[in-house]
Amino acid sequence: MELYILSVDNLKKLSEELIKQNWDLISPSEDGAGYQKVVNADKISLNSKAAPTKISFKEYFFPKSEALFYFKQNQNDVELSDPKSADTKTVIFGAKPCDAASLPALEKVFNWDYHDEFFNKRRDNTVIIGLACNYSDEYCFCNSVGLSQNSEKGSDIFLTGQNDGSFLAKIVTQKGKDFVAAFKEFFSQSDAAGLSQPVGDSESPKKEAPAQARKFDYQNIKNWLDKNFANSFWNTAGELCLGCAQCAFVCPTCHCFDIVDENCSLNCGRRAKNWDSCQFSIFTKHTSGHNPRDNQNKRYRQRIMHKFKYYNDKFEEILCTGCGRCSRGCEAGIDIAGILEEIDQLPE
Amino acid sequence: MNIYKPELMVIKDIIDETPDVKTFKLQFKNPEVQKNFNFKAGQFAEYSVFGEGECTFCIASSPTRMDYLECSFKQAGKVTSAMRKLNVGDIIGLRGPYGNNFPIEDMTGKNLIFIAGGIGLAPVRCIIWNALDLRDQFKDITIIYGARTVADLVYKHELREWQSMSGIKTVVTVDPGGETPDWKGDIGFVPTIVEKTAPISENTVAIICGPPIMIKFTLPVLNKLGFKEENIITTLENRMKCGLGKCGRCNVGSVYVCKDGPVFTYSQLKNLPDEY
Repeated sequence: MELYILSVDNLKKLSEELIKQNWDLISPSEDGAGYQKVVNADKISLNSKAAPTKISFKEYFFPKSEALFYFKQNQNDVELSDPKSADTKTVIFGAKPCDAASLPALEKVFNWDYHDEFFNKRRDNTVIIGLACNYSDEYCFCNSVGLSQNSEKGSDIFLTGQNDGSFLAKIVTQKGKDFVAAFKEFFSQSDAAGLSQPVGDSESPKKEAPAQARKFDYQNIKNWLDKNFANSFWNTAGELCLGCAQCAFVCPTCHCFDIVDENCSLNCGRRAKNWDSCQFSIFTKHTSGHNPRDNQNKRYRQRIMHKFKYYNDKFEEILCTGCGRCSRGCEAGIDIAGILEEIDQLPE
Repeated sequence: MNIYKPELMVIKDIIDETPDVKTFKLQFKNPEVQKNFNFKAGQFAEYSVFGEGECTFCIASSPTRMDYLECSFKQAGKVTSAMRKLNVGDIIGLRGPYGNNFPIEDMTGKNLIFIAGGIGLAPVRCIIWNALDLRDQFKDITIIYGARTVADLVYKHELREWQSMSGIKTVVTVDPGGETPDWKGDIGFVPTIVEKTAPISENTVAIICGPPIMIKFTLPVLNKLGFKEENIITTLENRMKCGLGKCGRCNVGSVYVCKDGPVFTYSQLKNLPDEY
């Protein structure tokens, strides 16, 4: 295990150096809205006690709207051109474990058989520096989906706050190792004796990450979902849902998209991949009018089934990191943890 | 490689099949792509009109006839309406072929019955020509095709060709009331005609495509005739965007129709949730 110390001073210097070398530096914004590009190294602040930002960092890998190619038509001919490739070196500083863990899950769908170079290119060019989380509220449930506040899944380097405000940096992947090697002047070898405190909380350094009130047994949920597509539980499951899809848009793992042509003038335009959601009523609607998921209950069942059964059947990953964003932001007050706890208690 | 970028195809010919169905004969603009393009009967593609978008349908021509690629489409939405306005010489985009295919290798040495309704003949036509071009590999071949009215019958010239070919039985029917005074074919719904034709089910594979209502009422007939569920093959037509197993809208349970389908046996369909 390779461990280093990143001091507060060096964190700032490293950020300055990255900006100088034209890296994109992305970090959770202070207002908690989302992850933002940092242009001033003084602004970088890694706060393990902050709530998850309202929206995940998904857009840095899978943008809300992305050009797939451009087209130009003249007379009887069409010219297609590729968009500029996303090759800016990027580092995401202070990723929540519940954000970082979404990437290994998303990689699967974007790479079975056909490789989505748009996602892969961004993924390849980005170093994820995760930060151990010291936050929990009534919506968090990462502990129930095989993760924790200290999960390194998806991080290339994993930081844990120390008593003096510095960070213990653990190398998780080769990419992380290469990053530290490239910027080694900012990482000092850690003193092995000081490694025993995994969570940085200056007032009570030995305190574990806060316990999560929300709990369910994933295996129970999976077993129930395997057998209960037609259960009457679903008849009312989506009753409160407005079908607005904020849950999908803030989610780190939701990845449904639409493909549409957007014209710039009569003869030119672009084909774009835009975020979409299975919660919209037209998502599966045929041109003929037939709709396999013709009400919100069916659409809500799809959301739960896809995350906790189908994706697992197909890719052996749970399509949920327990970040609780969908519930925190739901205008109708739908609480996914509550629904899962309810399923957990249902007889098989 | 940009998996979302189509190849360009030139429309070489347009056939008006019915008042709202057209067939395009297509060739790749780049001869190299034309030379290297391969597909299997049952696969589909994403067709684009630039500025309007993409839509999904099967490749309607046979892989045994690679000079042209053919697709037949009914004017229904934004893209098919734009396609309808195109002329010979115009360019469209194509991504594909995608999805699985009819199991033609497993069909050799067997009797084949093709049952289609309306524009559902397009995917079936692909495998019909595929089988007819390899005629000696199969035993009896029966084609049963129906449409609402005489005007709605697609591939009319080919229906006549099949009817005049020896060694295959072709029954063409229209729904009661859909006949014209000079109509010489059958009158009746497809399930009834299948029952009347009574194909033998022993060592026979049935391929059936058409409106859900036709499939729904034909399945019990095939069942009664003794067809095994694993020998009844159909296609699902879920709404799709990417065709690549990524955009997330065509799934039925854990199955992605664009990758695990569109071809399914009836025994496979029975194990899927009723959401298609």
